[in-house]
Parts: sequence; C-alpha cells; structure tokens
Amino acid sequence: MSVRSEQSRNAMKPTGWVLFWRTFMPYQLWRFVIVNIRMMVMIWKSHG
Amino acid sequence: MARVVILGAGVSGHTAAMVLRKKLSREHDVVVVTPNRRWNWIPSNIWVGVGLMGKDDVTFELAPIYERLGIDYRQAKGVELHPEGAGDAKHPFVTVEYTSDAQRGVREDLAYDYLINATGPKLNFAATPGLGPEGNSLSVCTFDHAAQTAEALRAAIERMKGGEKLTFVVGTGHGTCTCEGAAFEYVFNLEFEIRNAGVRDAARIVFLTNEAELGDFGVGGLQIQRGGYVVPSRSFAESLFVERGVEWIVGAHVSRVDPREVQYETLDGEMHTLAFDFAMLLPPFTGVGLRAVDRAGEDITAKLFAPNGFMRVDADYTAKPYEEWKARDWPKTYQSPLYGNVFAVGIAFAPPHALSRPRKTKNGTVVAPAPPRTGMPSGIMGRTVALSIADMITKGATSPTRHASMGEMGAACVASAGVGFWKGTAVSMTMFPVVPDYEKYPEAGRDLRHTVGEIGSAGHWIKRILHHLFIYKAKARPGWWMIPE
Repeated sequence: MSVRSEQSRNAMKPTGWVLFWRTFMPYQLWRFVIVNIRMMVMIWKSHG
Repeated sequence: MARVVILGAGVSGHTAAMVLRKKLSREHDVVVVTPNRRWNWIPSNIWVGVGLMGKDDVTFELAPIYERLGIDYRQAKGVELHPEGAGDAKHPFVTVEYTSDAQRGVREDLAYDYLINATGPKLNFAATPGLGPEGNSLSVCTFDHAAQTAEALRAAIERMKGGEKLTFVVGTGHGTCTCEGAAFEYVFNLEFEIRNAGVRDAARIVFLTNEAELGDFGVGGLQIQRGGYVVPSRSFAESLFVERGVEWIVGAHVSRVDPREVQYETLDGEMHTLAFDFAMLLPPFTGVGLRAVDRAGEDITAKLFAPNGFMRVDADYTAKPYEEWKARDWPKTYQSPLYGNVFAVGIAFAPPHALSRPRKTKNGTVVAPAPPRTGMPSGIMGRTVALSIADMITKGATSPTRHASMGEMGAACVASAGVGFWKGTAVSMTMFPVVPDYEKYPEAGRDLRHTVGEIGSAGHWIKRILHHLFIYKAKARPGWWMIPE
C-alpha cells in the first residue's frame, strides 16, 4: 500500500457538499462577519 | 531625557519603536538598530514564494518612515551588549556594526537607558548539511529567498508542462524547527498553483515535518469544538492533506540535504531518503549571536542568554518534566532578570519550554518543534514592553507596568491554502491562550469557546485584508495606532 492510500484511508474526507460551502459566496460572506467578530474578541481579550 | 535603543525592526521591534515614539515626547530618543534596509511583512512571503507577489508588495524602505516619525534609524546589527558600561564609564551601551553600503563594517557604541532586544532569529541553515538556498533546498524566510523559490517553482511547472513528473518536498529542515504553520501554508499554496497550471497530475507533493502529528503547529495542536464534537486539529489537518492529495511524513529530523535527495530520521529511529526535484525546507532558529560583557570585561553571555542564543527574561527556566510545565512559567514582562532596563520580545526571548511534547528518536536524536513567537503575540509583546518603558520613563515606575504572557493571551492566525477571490481559501484559527493552561482549562488546555478553526473563502479575504492593513500600519499611515496587533 502506498503512503498516500494508507494515509487517505484513516483521514476524514470532505464531501462535495462541504467543499461547496467553502467557496459559496453568500455563506462565506456570513462566515467573514463571524470570523472577524471572533478575531476582534480574541484581540480584545489579548490586549489586556 | 532618556534613550531607548531597539535592536531589530521586525513585527515586535517595529511595533515597540512606533508605540514608544507615540508615547514619548521628542526630548527622549528612540533609536532602531536593524541590519535591514527594508521592512518585510513576512506572512506574505508565502505568496512571493509561489510568484503571486513581488518584493515591493511585501517590503518597503524603513528610512523614510523613521525619518517622518522622528525615530533615529541605524542600518546596523548589534554585536556586543555592555549592560554595566565598560571600565570607568558606567552607562550601559551596545556596540553595533553598520551594514549599509556607506559604512559597512564600521562599529559604534550606542549608549542606552533602556534596551529592547527584538533581533528575531538567525536562520540556522548550517544546522543541517546542505540545507538552504546556499545549499540544496529553498526557503521563504526572507523576501529574497521567497523570490528565488518562486523562480524555481516556475521552472518546475514548465518542466511538468513538458511532460516530466516531479517530486516536491515542503516542510522543516531540522528536528527543532519552528513555524510549521508557514510550511503548511506554503505546501497548499504550491499545490494550488500547480493545480491552476494544469499539471497537478505530474506532481507528487510531500510534506515533511518535525511535528509528531499534523496540525501540531508547534503549539501542541488544538482541540476544536465543531459539529457537536471536540476534535483535534490533527483530524482537520489530515483531512485537508488528503483532499489536496498531499502526502505527509511526521516526526522527521532532516539530517542532510543532497542535491536531489533529502535524508531524514523518523521517531522510530529509521533512516530514510527521499528524492526530490524541488524542496522548500525551513531552517531551525537560534539567537543572532549577541555577546554580553560586564564592566570588568568578563564575558557574561551565558548569564544573559540561553544556550540557543535567545535572551532570558522573567520566565521560569527551571528544568522539569513535560508533565510539570505550566502556563505560568511563561514570561509576563519580558524584562531581563539581571538588568531591569533590558527587555527581549518576539522570537528574541528564550521560551521556558516547548509547547509540543519534545521527543527523541530511538537513536536519541531530538525532534522537538520549537514554540512559535511570531505574528500577533509578537506584536503584543512589542507594544506591551514599549508601554512599560514609557511608564518607567514618564511616570517613574520602578518596574514594568504591563503584562503580556503567552499563557494569558490568545492568537488569531490565518493560514492561506490558495489564492483567488472566488476559489481561494484559508484556515482561520483563533486559540486562547497560546500556551495551554491545563490548570484553568483541564479538558483541552485552552478555552474551547475561543479556540476555533474553519476553512473557506472568508479566511482568504481576511488574509488579504490583513496584508494591506498591517503594511498600512507599519508605514505609520494616519490612524495606524488604532489598528491592533
């Protein structure tokens, strides 16, 4: 068995549905807002 | 009047200089000593390394910025610290050696009241025979290295278009490397660009890392709450590697890089070789080799610095087993325990211990990812020390007034996995705190509400915005001080 197939068998693999959402613009715009809020919270917590 | 000398103008040193200049009146001097003429936004070197950005996109000349701000800029490198002065002269000073064309090799003693060591690392390619651009592998650690790597990638893509099948190896070039996140970003950007060039089938891509498992990133990995589960970052990392068809080899200490072959040892003690056509392997870091001397002329380097050349600060450096390491071991003020007017920030301070469990191969070779001290934590350290020094100068504080322990601060990281407004993606991660604290967070060492990660176009857009935002800030454009580190 090649390294690649052995590694592949033991890992989670994203479905086409998951991959679709990663670059689906309306959803990613929403995630953009959420991730920015999370980062602002992290910055606020870390700047004492 | 006080004089603050800052050695180094990377993220932490440049931040410290700008904050100090803003906080201190012009009667006080802020001096920056850096061997580099240009400031470099290093996170974007990844994109230089795949040919998507050029030197001018990620760098700018420091002199005009410092002239506008009123910062005394010396293009030089610190070579010797005299924290007690020398002979009858009791005032501390640092000996610097100029690197500019006009004064190359000229030495000068710069007196200081406060010193910030923000020198960053020495890229220790010499630790592994054949490693580095002067040897047999490539790097993205500097913009020149990254530009050279982009040229090599371009040539490799042409060869694949000509029908050749090539092997690409990306990762760490020694068992004690840090910044695995940069190698992670580079391998996925490389894969993305090869795919865009239409030659993905001709490329075998291998990620070779000193991490014991993927997703470790030198911080011992993360536990992320997602989909109703608490999942180790390893699962998400492996998933991405499988999705992109990138093989991986973990727990590897690279012992030698020959012209077309890398030799490495794995944790089981086995020695391996891997043939490559293109190898981008990061070097381990050490301190820059500053020497320290007391007033009598005795060498006190070993007192001020750890054996790896990084400066000891207010951390607990007591040797103890991994299981006994605590978040509170990490420094809070970055003040030297020997000299109250000397501080070290960013990569220049000596971490008390690693975050990833250090391991040895069966042959006794150390494979221990070093803890990252770059990016957001580095900037916060620079700012914190600058504010403490400003308080010591203007308010007469006798000890540092500000704290910024990596055991109490979080980090936001965005790791690019391919560039493009529509199809580009990046992993957006936040973790809190950076140093796991199992006393406070027994389950995962970190606060699961604030330790999260996801991949998508949103991350890429944020990464792109951060590139422009931080360069804007570093250029001290209007309102720069409102942009947090």
